[in-house]
Order: sequence, then C-alpha cells, then structure tokens
Amino acid sequence: MHLNKVSLEARHISLSYGSTEVLRDVNLKIEPGEFFALLGPSGSGKSTLLRLIAGFNQHQRGELLVDGQDITGTPPHARNVGMVFQNYALWPHMTVWDNVAFGLVERRETKDAIRRKVGAVLELVGLAAYAQRRPGQLSGGQQQRVALARTVVIEPKLLLLDEPLSNLDKQLRVQMREELKNLQRKLGLTTIFVTHDQEEAMTTADRMAVLDKGILQQVGAAAGLYDFPVNRFVAGFVGTANLLEGEVTAVGGETLTFRVQGVGELTLPRPEVPPPLGAMALAFRPHQVSIRVRDEQVDASRLWLNGRVESAEFLGEFSRYRVRVGEVAMVTDQPHYAGLAMFAPGAEVRLGIEPTQVRFLDR
Amino acid sequence: MQRSLFTATAAAALAAACLTAQAGTVTVLTSFPKELTTAYQKAFEAANPGIKIEILNKNTTASVAYVRELPEGQRPDVMWASAPDAFEVLSSFSLLQSAPEVVNKSAPAKIGNYPLNDPKGMYYGQALAGYGISWNTRYLKAHKLAEPREWTDLLKPEYFGHIAISSPSRSGTTQLTVETILQGEGWDKGWAQLLEMMGNAAAVTDRSFAVPDGVNNGQYGIGIVIDFLALAGKYSGYPVDFVYPSMTAVVPANIALIAGAKNPDEAKKFMAYTMSVPGQQLLFDPKIGRLPILPYSMLKAPAGYPVPQDIAKRAKVQFDSQLSGARYPVVISLFDQMVTFRLKELQGATKAIHEAARALKAKPNAKGSELLAQARSLAYTPLVGAENVKNPEFLELFRKSRRDVAVSKQLTGLEQMWADKARANYERARELAEQARGMAK
Amino acid sequence: MQAAALRPGTAGPGPWIAFGLILAFLLVFLILPVGTVIYTAFVNEGGVLTLGHFANFFSQGVFRESFFNSLWVALAATFFASVIAVPLAYLTVRFEFRGALLIQTLGVLPLIMPPFVGAVALQLIFGRSGSVNLLLDDWFGFTIPIMDGLVGVTFVESIHYFPFILLNLVAAMRNIDGAMEESALNLGARGWRLFRRVIFPLAMPGYLAGAALVFVKVFDDLGTPLVMGVTNMLAPQAYLRITSVGVDDPLGYVISVIMIAFSILALWMAARVMKGKDYATLQKGGSALQKRRLSAWESALAYGWIVLILLVTLAPHIGILLMSFAKVWSFSVLPDAYTLEHYGTVFSDANHMIGNTLLYCLLAAGLDVVIGTAIAYLILRTQLPARRWLDYLASAALAIPGLVLAIGYLRLFKGMNLPFTDTPLVGTWVLIMLAYAVRRLPYALRSCMAALQQVHVSLEEAAQSLGATRLSTIRRVMVPLMAGGILAGFVTSFITAAVELSATLLLASTESQAPMSYGIYLYMQSISGRGPGAALGVLAVVVVGLGTYFSHRFVERSRATVQAKQEG
Repeated sequence: MHLNKVSLEARHISLSYGSTEVLRDVNLKIEPGEFFALLGPSGSGKSTLLRLIAGFNQHQRGELLVDGQDITGTPPHARNVGMVFQNYALWPHMTVWDNVAFGLVERRETKDAIRRKVGAVLELVGLAAYAQRRPGQLSGGQQQRVALARTVVIEPKLLLLDEPLSNLDKQLRVQMREELKNLQRKLGLTTIFVTHDQEEAMTTADRMAVLDKGILQQVGAAAGLYDFPVNRFVAGFVGTANLLEGEVTAVGGETLTFRVQGVGELTLPRPEVPPPLGAMALAFRPHQVSIRVRDEQVDASRLWLNGRVESAEFLGEFSRYRVRVGEVAMVTDQPHYAGLAMFAPGAEVRLGIEPTQVRFLDR
Repeated sequence: MQRSLFTATAAAALAAACLTAQAGTVTVLTSFPKELTTAYQKAFEAANPGIKIEILNKNTTASVAYVRELPEGQRPDVMWASAPDAFEVLSSFSLLQSAPEVVNKSAPAKIGNYPLNDPKGMYYGQALAGYGISWNTRYLKAHKLAEPREWTDLLKPEYFGHIAISSPSRSGTTQLTVETILQGEGWDKGWAQLLEMMGNAAAVTDRSFAVPDGVNNGQYGIGIVIDFLALAGKYSGYPVDFVYPSMTAVVPANIALIAGAKNPDEAKKFMAYTMSVPGQQLLFDPKIGRLPILPYSMLKAPAGYPVPQDIAKRAKVQFDSQLSGARYPVVISLFDQMVTFRLKELQGATKAIHEAARALKAKPNAKGSELLAQARSLAYTPLVGAENVKNPEFLELFRKSRRDVAVSKQLTGLEQMWADKARANYERARELAEQARGMAK
Repeated sequence: MQAAALRPGTAGPGPWIAFGLILAFLLVFLILPVGTVIYTAFVNEGGVLTLGHFANFFSQGVFRESFFNSLWVALAATFFASVIAVPLAYLTVRFEFRGALLIQTLGVLPLIMPPFVGAVALQLIFGRSGSVNLLLDDWFGFTIPIMDGLVGVTFVESIHYFPFILLNLVAAMRNIDGAMEESALNLGARGWRLFRRVIFPLAMPGYLAGAALVFVKVFDDLGTPLVMGVTNMLAPQAYLRITSVGVDDPLGYVISVIMIAFSILALWMAARVMKGKDYATLQKGGSALQKRRLSAWESALAYGWIVLILLVTLAPHIGILLMSFAKVWSFSVLPDAYTLEHYGTVFSDANHMIGNTLLYCLLAAGLDVVIGTAIAYLILRTQLPARRWLDYLASAALAIPGLVLAIGYLRLFKGMNLPFTDTPLVGTWVLIMLAYAVRRLPYALRSCMAALQQVHVSLEEAAQSLGATRLSTIRRVMVPLMAGGILAGFVTSFITAAVELSATLLLASTESQAPMSYGIYLYMQSISGRGPGAALGVLAVVVVGLGTYFSHRFVERSRATVQAKQEG
C-alpha cells in the first residue's frame, strides 16, 4: 500500500471559544510524508489544532490548506483525514473486522474490495487472527493497532494521532513508538501526532512544533529545538534547562560579561554572534555541567562557580544534584558508575559550565 | 426517518378509527353499569345488524355537563339514566328532542301516582326502580343486628357505624331517596330523621355504586341503595338482602333523544327496543335486576320477583318531581355541608346522644333528659327553614352560574356559613349530650 | 482530553428542523394546554385577570381541607415509604445477604400493580371487614382501620411507591467508593455513626431523588383516592368539579394550578438540595462499600422484616388474583368458591381494550423514544442555542399531573375537529395517546440522555473522520450503542402508560376507546364486574411485569457491552 503524500499548511489560524483564545495566529507548514509532532503542555492548544485539521473544530480566522486547497468549510466526513483518538474509539458493538471495514462500507466499496483491503491491513498490523474478536477482548496495544488499521485502510490523505501512546504503560509505549514509526515509513503517509511527552516527540518525529497557550513557539527538528531553543519556554519544555536571569553588561573582543542575579558577574568567551547588551537569560543543560569537590583540580576551559549541594537524587543512569550558587539553584546531572559515591547534601562543591554550550535567550 | 414512519402509521390508524365510528352507530350516554349496557348492546345489535351501539359511560352529573359542552351535531344520540332531574336539566336547556313514536302503548301511563313519561314529552320511562335498604346477612349476623324494615329503624343506636349512603350531590338516586323522605315526612321532620340516620353512618360515599359494592363485600353492614343494585348482588350470589320501606317511591329510569344528535333515526330504533317486550325481558336478568314498565301479563317474570305496581300502591309517598327539581341544588348543598363534609362531627354528636340516651334509660333524670332533648334539637335541625326553601328568590340564587365570581362568592359564603354552623351545632350537641349522660346517676 | 462535547461545527438544516418539530410538539401538547389551565384559573368570566377564584378556593373549608389532606397524605406516604425502603436498602448494600434477590423483587413488585387496582383488592384484605380484620377480630377482638379514609390512601400509596426510594437509594449507596468508608473507619467511625455521618449523607442525593418523586406522585394521584371513595383531597376534588360542573368550572383550574405549583416546588427543592452534591464517587478500579455478614439473630430480624414487607406488598397482587377467580367474596377471609368465568368474560368482551392499550401505549412509547433520542442528540451533540430548553420543557411534564393535562386538552381542543374530518378531537383516542406520550417523555428522555452520555463522542467523531455523514453516524454508531437505553426507555414508557388512569378518566369517552386501565375502572363500577375487573387487572399486571423484566434485560445487556469496552 503506497499512499499519496500531501502537504498541510496552516496560515494565520486563530480559534476562540467565546472569549477564550485557544489558538493564536498559528502558521505552520508540514511537508508531504513527514512524521510531524505537535508538542506542548495541556491547554497549549495542540489537540485543538489537531481536531481543527480533522474538522471537529472551526477556526474563526485563517486558512487551512491541504495540498494547496483550503478545506476550511469542508465537513469532517468529507475531508478524508484519518484520525486515531486517544481512547481509540473502537465501536464495542462491532467486531474488529467490522470496525476496520467501517469506512470502506461508508464509501460503498464492493464486498470483494472490502475483504481484500481489510485483510491486507490487518496483516499489516499483525492482527489478522483477531478479526472476529470484539474490542473489549483486546489489550490496549492491540486496540491501538485496530484503530490504526481502521484509519489507514481508507487511504486517507493525512493521518492524525491524538496522544496515541499516553494510555499505554511504559514498556508498551516504547514498543509502540517503534511500530508507529515503522508503519509510517512504510506507508509514507503525512502524519501529525499530538503529545505532551517530549521524549516521545523527539524519538518519533521528523520535525516538531512546540505550542504554549495557543501560540506556536518554535518549529524544527528535535536537535534544533534542543540545542537552539528560541525562548525560555522551549528551553524548559524540550529537555531540562538551567535558566539564569541576568543582563549582558559588556561585550569585549574576546569575552563577554554577564551579571547573574543573585550570583555575580561571569566572564564568558564571546560567541561568534554575540547577544546584545541588556536583560537576558543564560540557558544551559544539566548534563553539560560538571560537579567537583571544592578544592579539586579543574578544567580551565570551563567556567567554575562555588556552591553547596541542596539535594541529591539517584536516577540510575545519572545522579541529579541541586546546587545553590549564590542565591540561585542550579541543576546538574552526573553520569553514574558503580562505585561512584554521591555528593551529600550540604557538601561544598564547584560547578563547571561549558561555555560553548550556553545559550542566550531574550524571550 | 423513524418519526415519519410513525406519523404515517398513526394517521392511517386514526382515519380507520374515525371511519368505523360514523356510519350506522348510535351513541348512548348512560350511567348504567356494564352488565346492563352490554346486555342491551348485544341484544339490539343481534336484532339489528348494521347498527352499532357505542356506549359512553359517565355518571349523571358528568353526562349533563358533557352534553351541554358539545355543539349540535356532535352530541351523543341517546341519554339513558335513572335520575329524572338530569333530564329536567337537559330539557330546560332545550337539549332534548321529543320522540313520542318510540313509546310502547302497552305501558301504563302512571306508576302509582307518578307519570311514566315526561308530561312535556321530552323523555320516557324505560324501567322502574324503588329505593330501599339492603344489608349484608353475614355482617349483621356477626354483629348480632336485626334486619331493618323501615327508615326509622335505621335511627336505632345499635346501627351506629354500620350504615353507608352516597352523597346526593354525587348520586341522582340518593338525591331521590332523600327527597322521598323529605316529601313523605315533611321538611323539618324529614331532615331530623335524615340527620339522625346519618349520625349512624359509617361513610358518605362519593359514588352511588360504592354503597351496594360495600354492602356486597361486607365492608358495610347496611346500605341505602336503589333496588336493582342490591337485587343484582343478591342474585349474583352475594350474601345480601333488600327491603322496600313503606316510605318509598317507584320512579322510572328514563331514556331520551338528545337534540342535535348525530344519528336520530337509528337512535329512535334503539329507544323503541328498550321499551319493547324483548328489551324489557332483559331487565329480569339477575345481574341487572330492574323492574319493567310493561305489565307482567306480557312478560315472563322470575318467581318472587318484585311487582312494581304493588310496591307503588303500598308506597306512602306521591313523589312530586317538580318540587324535587326546584329545590334540588339547595337540598344537595345543604346535605353536603351538614352531613358529607361534617360526618365526623355528626358521628361524634350522635354517639354521645346514644350513650346519653342509654344511660338515661337506665337511670332517668329530668334535667338530663332536657339536656338530651336540647342536644337532639341542635344536632338534627336543618339549617334552612321550611319557609326559606319555599322562597323562589332563595331558590333562584342557587340556580345562577358559579362562574360569575360574585355569585360564586355568595354561594360559597352561604355554604361556608352552613358548614361552620353545623360544626358548631354538633360540637355543642355533643357537649350537652355528655353533660346529660353525666347526670344519669 | 478537552471536553469532547464542545464542537462548534456547522449545524446545517437538519438539527434546526428537528429542534423546530420537537418544540412545536411540546408547545401544542404540553405548554399550551397547561398554560390554558393556569390562565383560566386567573381569569373571570369577562376575561379579566383576577385572584377571585383563588380567594374563593381558600375561603371554602372543604377545599382548604382537601389541600391540607393532600399535603399531609403525600408527606406521610413519603415518610412511610422511607421507613420501608431505607432498612431494605441498607440490608441490600451493606450485608452479605442471600435475601438480596428478594429485596430486588420487592423493589419491582409494587410498581407493576397500578395503585387503584391494588386498592380494590386491599379493601378485601385489609378493609373493615377484610380478611385480616376478620381474623384479628376473631382471635384478638380488635380491628385495625387501616383502609379507612386518608389513612387508607396513605397506606396504599406507601406500599405502592416505596420502590422509588429503595431503587434510588440502593443505586446511590452502591456508587459510594469503598475508600470513603475505609478512611472513615480508619479515623474511628463505625456502625451507626458511620452510617449517619458518612454513608447516608453520601447517599442523600439518591434518597432525595426518590423521596421527591414519591411526594409528587402521591400528591397528584387521582385513581387511588377515587377508587377508595376519598374525595377530600385535591385531585379527586378537581376531577369531580370538572366532570360535574363542567370544563368551565374555575375551581377545578385553581386546584390544578396548586397541584402544579406543589409538584414543581417539591422537585425544585430536591434539586436544590442535591445541587453540587453529585456524589458518584466510584472510580474505575475502586470498590463499593464493604459487605459484612449478619449474626444469627440479626439475620432473623432482617428476614422477618423483609417477609413482613413482602407479604404486605404482595397483598394487592394476591388479592387481585383471588378476586379474579372468586365467585363470591363477602365478609369472609377467603372467597366462597372459585371460577374461571371472569377470564372468559374478559377475553370475550374486553379484548378490544387490550388492543387499545397496546395501540395507545406502543405509539406513545415509540413517540417518546424518538423524541427523547432527538432531544438527547440535540443537547449532547450540537451547539444549537437554547437547546437545553427542550430538556427543561420536556421534563416540565413531570410536574404536571395527568389530570391537569387532560383538563388542559379538553379546554384547549374544545370544538376543534380532527383534520379533514368532522369528528371532535376530544372524542378521539388521539388525545389519550398524546397525553400518555407527553407525560412519559421525561422518563424516556432521561433514559436516552443517559444512554447517549455513555457513548463517548469520539466514537461518532471516528465515524465521521472515516467518511460517515451525520445521519449515517446516527444510524450505524449512535443508535446501536444507545439501543439498550432506548429500549429501556421504550419499555418504561409503555408500562407506565398501560396503567395510567388519571388522564384516561377524563379523556376516554366511549367504551370502545377504553384502554385496559379505564376498562378495569368501569368494571369495578358494577356488581358482577368485580371479577372481570380483577381478571383484567391481573392481565395488566402480567403485561407490566413482563415489560419490566425485559426492560431490565435490555439495560443489563447494554451495560455489559459498554463495560466490556471500558475494561478492555
């Protein structure tokens, strides 16, 4: 089965419920065949946007273009956009087979065609043996596959997935992630999926868009968002970040002075494109910070700050320390090896920040 | 989708229902029970294929209201009920049509002194009924009571709490019974008797049927009923019996053609049938138990069946239906306010009076007897004097429409006054009686 | 996930047409008739607004008395119904009890016997000279006048309506999460204190729902007091006024308005107390209250109580059965002799009544579920403005006594003819059927709403995303998934319509139009009709009983389907 790849473009989409603005001037272009993620916390508008694409919500302003055609007025049943719901929405009064065949029956396909297509897609998701079961008799993962099969069999233009993995337990989630990605690659369908879990987004999507309070924050590939967040929100949402508020007080030829509130002045090497003077946040990742005992020998290429350990958590792969430097708390993750002793709360330590990895965020 | 299917089905059913109701149907408005109406319906339809009888069952007062509300051409064809006053009311509103051809020439013109048919020729007697006392034999036996014979027997203290009567305002036949007593004994004495009798009542029911029903199944020991209801029970196997007191009247049950009826010609056929020999013969059915208008020489009566002419001859009362009709609203309203709605207080007073009488009989005391007489007078005097009830203006007031708020107010004011006075009288009577009792030492 | 019901989708003409039709139906057959009644009560002959009629009403002792009697009887019946129902509910939910099935039956038995039918039979068993009193008098020398007057009405109504409280209370108690009780136990409360401070307050909404319903139904009941010959209550007074004085008598309307007002008051008060106290706390994965075992003597007491209630509740059924086979039953504990002829009479003379009942009630129930489903759909699945009003209007029928609706019809449609014929509308059975439909609609609507609420909207959205139009979605997904609830609503409508008497009494004119309930009433008016009347009553009970049974089966089956989905 090889399906048409379409592009999706949202232009200046705004949607309000009464006086509450849920989506504000969203502009987005999704390329044909992309596996695209909409990422954001609850209330960010990501599900609304997805349902908008499916036709269950109506935007008040803007255009929604599929392959260049504005589908704003088209009712949901005419859009040929397949949607998999968070709770799978399998019909309990029908068998797996009938569930999957539903859309084909609606399209008045011949009995033979239906038998062929349904059979094929059930094979594809590995549930051919379960055709006569009822949804109530299936596990969560199996139900999700049926939901997928049901959507895919009608050869939709787009595949929309609304938090498809959040109802599964951790093991299953990881496994289903793989399967989803494989299926999408095989079918080549343009797929948009919504999640609040950045790990999920980062591991499956080709590109992703981060939304907060209805506003599109940043769009791009995972690495781009992780390494070069455009604002505090993205920095904090995609991965964990330390954010030091302060101001750039001086920019010299080699160095740059940054005064951190509650800590003091830091001297950093000047980046190629230096930030302007003025209020700024300094952002860096916890795993980019080293932690040493106070008077140990240190790597001079890093910027060292003295601090005291407030709390220590053991997370298996790494230990996470919360260290108070001046008036500011910073988080640092240290890879863990068997035999490596942890710092105790109260210990006097030094934190080493890797200057090439810091980012300056003005928003 | 589904809804349109339903509407279509419903519309079809409607059309069918309406069509069948129209052609060759005679609608009979009656308060008679099912046994009677079904018997006549079946017999008539068998003798007259092609004509259907449709029975509308409503009690007398409801029937009158019903006919008055319908426009001409929509009304039922035949009115068939016991109480003549309903026919009087309808006649006075020009809602009846004369149909003299249906009358059976062999029927006598009078029963006793009472004309069988309306002198104005608007309605005709179809069957006869008397009023009397019925009792449940098992009940009397269990309570060791003697079988009553006359109305005055019912005043005796041993019958306290065992009698049932229906309210005259709800039952045409009871109204006639009350009128019979009033006409026979006179207004004041008649009311005294009635009130004392009602003091012994266990219940004043809303429907006339509740009384014979209650006597039949032993709920009440004695009932004041129309004869056929008691006889029907007796002949159906219930342990009941019946007697015609000498103060009774034999009064016709009537049938009439309603003005503006839908199907007058076939209606007349039905009316004639009811007065014909086969139609009259149906009355002897034990479940029906009524008295025919035709002489027994023409019919085959069961052995021992009461003969209406004999009863009428024995009857001391020559019933005046004009008088009855004229004071009808006053009588029923007065009865309700003094008896029906005040039964508890009346019972209380009567009980006290009986006990005082019994105590004084054992231990006579002059003062006590005086008090007792006072108590009796208070309890058993009607609140409307004999003179007043003859006053035409007074009677006119009761005939006015209650929809007029002013009239309604006046009438209800009057009724409220009666109610309050009655309650006060019974209370006082009870006190006096208790005092009287206390004196018997 | 966001509130799935918020769907500002394009409405299209379909929903608007449905809205319009339903509104028109409710307007013509509910609002206008009731409005006419209310209007007439406030207007005098000249058409001028006046409170004169009300003043008249309250100035008359007999009406004041009727008013207080109705109030008193309704309260007393609610009280006694609670006395019967609360211990039974507690026993069912709280204890490991094999008699639980018995209690469930108890919860259903009274409902399948129309109260006015039961009243007749109860006269023979509990009446002044009834079986019980004859025995008591024989053995102990005293009698219990439990069937006299207002006490009798209270008695009959209590044993007929207690299931409303029982069923609601059991459902509410079953919904209490066991964790509530466990934390209370953990904090030291147990036994009676636990019941009083935790369990009963949490179950209160259920109790109140049942109690309010009982109050309203008893307050409005016409058949029972009429059959028992008690006329000093509001409903019989209104009936008597309208039938004897005529449909123009203003006092009948005054009474109607008072009855409506009180019904609304009772329902509103119950709703207010319940507001914000929807304590359905049982979560998925939670368990219900702990069940305990009964000690030996506790068991004996419990069984004793249940058996006593069972006997009293069964008395009307047994009585009616005996009556239907009795030749003569008078002043004796049991009938003299038995016969089958009454059933013969019924089947030869009255089978048209059975047909009528089937016709009217099937049509009415069908109408109800169609409208109910449509309203549920409009409310839960569209964004039409003022759609909630359809719910309020339809549910308002709960507060309208059947008697009042009938009066309204008689007045509003007086002089109107059936379209295309010249038969007066008030003379046809159409109004009877519509009165049934309108008054049963609230129950059908609740069933349909509950059924649709169980269908997650995503199931319909999924269908739409796969290409099904609105109509196709309704047909292939929505209605099949609602089937259990719809059928339950249909059956409930049917069986309650089958034994309705209040409106029927006023609207049925001819005997050939009479449904079974009216037929029973007619039969009971004649000496030899008691037997056939009882036989017809037995048939009515059988029909209703079967209907109830099937209704439960449908609900169980649909619940199983939905639960299976949730567990999966």
